[in-house]
Amino acid sequence: MDIIRLNRVVPQIFSNREDLSGDIWGKDFSFERGKRYLINASSGTGKSTLCSYLYGQRGDYQGTILFDNNDISTLSTNQWCEIRQQSISHLFQDLKLFGELTALQNVEIKNNITHSKSQSEILALFEELGISDKIDTRIDRISFGQQQRVALIRALCQPYSFLLLDEPISHLDDANSEIMRTIIERDAKAKGAGIIATSIGKHINFDYDLCLNL
Amino acid sequence: MSKSITLIWQLLRKHISIFELAIFFIANLIGMVVILAGVQIYSDLKPLLSGEEAIIGNDYIVVTHPVKRVGINATSFSNDDIEELQNQEFVKSVGRFTSSQFEVDGSIVFGGRRLSTMLFFESIPDEFIDAIPDTWGFTEGDTTIPIILPRNYLNLYNFGFSSTQKLPQITETMVKSVNLGIELSGNGHTNEFTGRVAGFSDRINTILVPEAFMSWANGYYANVATDFPTRLILEVANPSDPNLMEFLEANDYVLESKPAESGKALFILKVCVAIIVVIGVIFSLLSIIILTLSIHLLLQKNITKLETLTLIGYTPSRVAMPYNALTLALNGAILILSLAVIFVAQNIYSDYLSQLDGITISSSPIASIVVGVALTALITAFNIFVINRKIKEISRKR
Repeated sequence: MDIIRLNRVVPQIFSNREDLSGDIWGKDFSFERGKRYLINASSGTGKSTLCSYLYGQRGDYQGTILFDNNDISTLSTNQWCEIRQQSISHLFQDLKLFGELTALQNVEIKNNITHSKSQSEILALFEELGISDKIDTRIDRISFGQQQRVALIRALCQPYSFLLLDEPISHLDDANSEIMRTIIERDAKAKGAGIIATSIGKHINFDYDLCLNL
Repeated sequence: MSKSITLIWQLLRKHISIFELAIFFIANLIGMVVILAGVQIYSDLKPLLSGEEAIIGNDYIVVTHPVKRVGINATSFSNDDIEELQNQEFVKSVGRFTSSQFEVDGSIVFGGRRLSTMLFFESIPDEFIDAIPDTWGFTEGDTTIPIILPRNYLNLYNFGFSSTQKLPQITETMVKSVNLGIELSGNGHTNEFTGRVAGFSDRINTILVPEAFMSWANGYYANVATDFPTRLILEVANPSDPNLMEFLEANDYVLESKPAESGKALFILKVCVAIIVVIGVIFSLLSIIILTLSIHLLLQKNITKLETLTLIGYTPSRVAMPYNALTLALNGAILILSLAVIFVAQNIYSDYLSQLDGITISSSPIASIVVGVALTALITAFNIFVINRKIKEISRKR
């Protein structure tokens, strides 16, 4: 997948609003593979909504979204599963980790279906992110900042053309944000992928090609 | 693959209710055992009630045309009548009564006096005779004619006639040892034969001689090869079949003898088995409903996890896998357990029957295995269908 096109996409709940002045809603816009985008917005303007449209979680919008030239509203459940395994990776704002599994198991449950990274590569990422001591700890027993890092490792355990980062460093200090940035940059570069990051202020320090407002 | 199943299983087993599964397990086990017991009992007992070694054979009925007035009635059956009967679904085979077309004079020397009477003979094909005596048969040149008498003739004498006339009662063996003088005449021939009562019949209400004798004698003394029969014997599967009764009525045929009560055993067995199987099916249906509800509830409790799994790229069929495996394991265990119960039960009742009456059941458990496997496959397929549909519904939710 090389390009994501949004043609006059407006969330249905915003359809009566006349004051949509941002760069995306109601406009024609494209995300290209290999580029980095930062979407800046105050809360309630639809950052996560945009992510959920691009990830097939929700379809309550007007307009069309195209992956390459395919209208995503026509994709089947299995096609979405394929896209989620191969083309788009998503670091969810609410992480969507499994509380009863350990940190490592949460990563493995993804890697088991993609076979994208070796065990040692995964352990190296834990090490790099400073949470190697939490590998066998249940995910609901560690802090949200640590969980964010586990969720990142899981998000990287697959091939992708685009990486969606929904407020990825909301609970991280600057040092850890920097480590995360390095890892993401390295992984995305190796995959030639585009990055779409959202932020409500504190944003991850990529060398962005484009900063957008919602 | 197996590693991912282990992890999903660890995730999804959480809300599994042992209580609900136990209820399903017990209900379905009962249903399965009841159904299989019905099938097995039916397949074990059916050969005893029908077929070659039947203890209670098929039913035989004798039909005639009604005699409506004094004189000669048109009471014979044409070839068309016979063919029509033979083509009926409820008629297994048709036998013709052939009557003697010559004069028969029977005599017996009893207490120094010679009693003689005019007689007639009839014959039917051997396969319709209930008990064929060892001495049955005739070849041209024989001077002895074996005869089968209806057992109720003897009863009539012993319990009706002799007691009131102060005559001695006689046994079957005595009757069999008596020589009857038989004089046959017709077509310019007259010959003496010896008649011997070879056996008694509960089924055939006439003086029977072997068919071979009859066809020879009718040719020799009457110079007729065949005559249209006035009585027919029918072998039927179920004498109480309403279709049979309707047919007889429509054609104005008269049933000569009411079918024997014992012949209804097979019919009763079929009804009992049907009732048992219906009860079993109801149990199984209820258990399937319980399992379906239980699975729905389980999926509903795990809905967030299921959604998340599909969000990280798990296909609905992969998510369904542990649940499918669970139902397969449950249903497989039920099948094995219920078959074990049936085998034990079969051993017990076949032992009991063989002690009771020397009846040996040669039936194999194939019938219940086939039905059990088929039912399990059906139930499992339905469960898996329900699971997959529900998971697809969850993963489609947007």
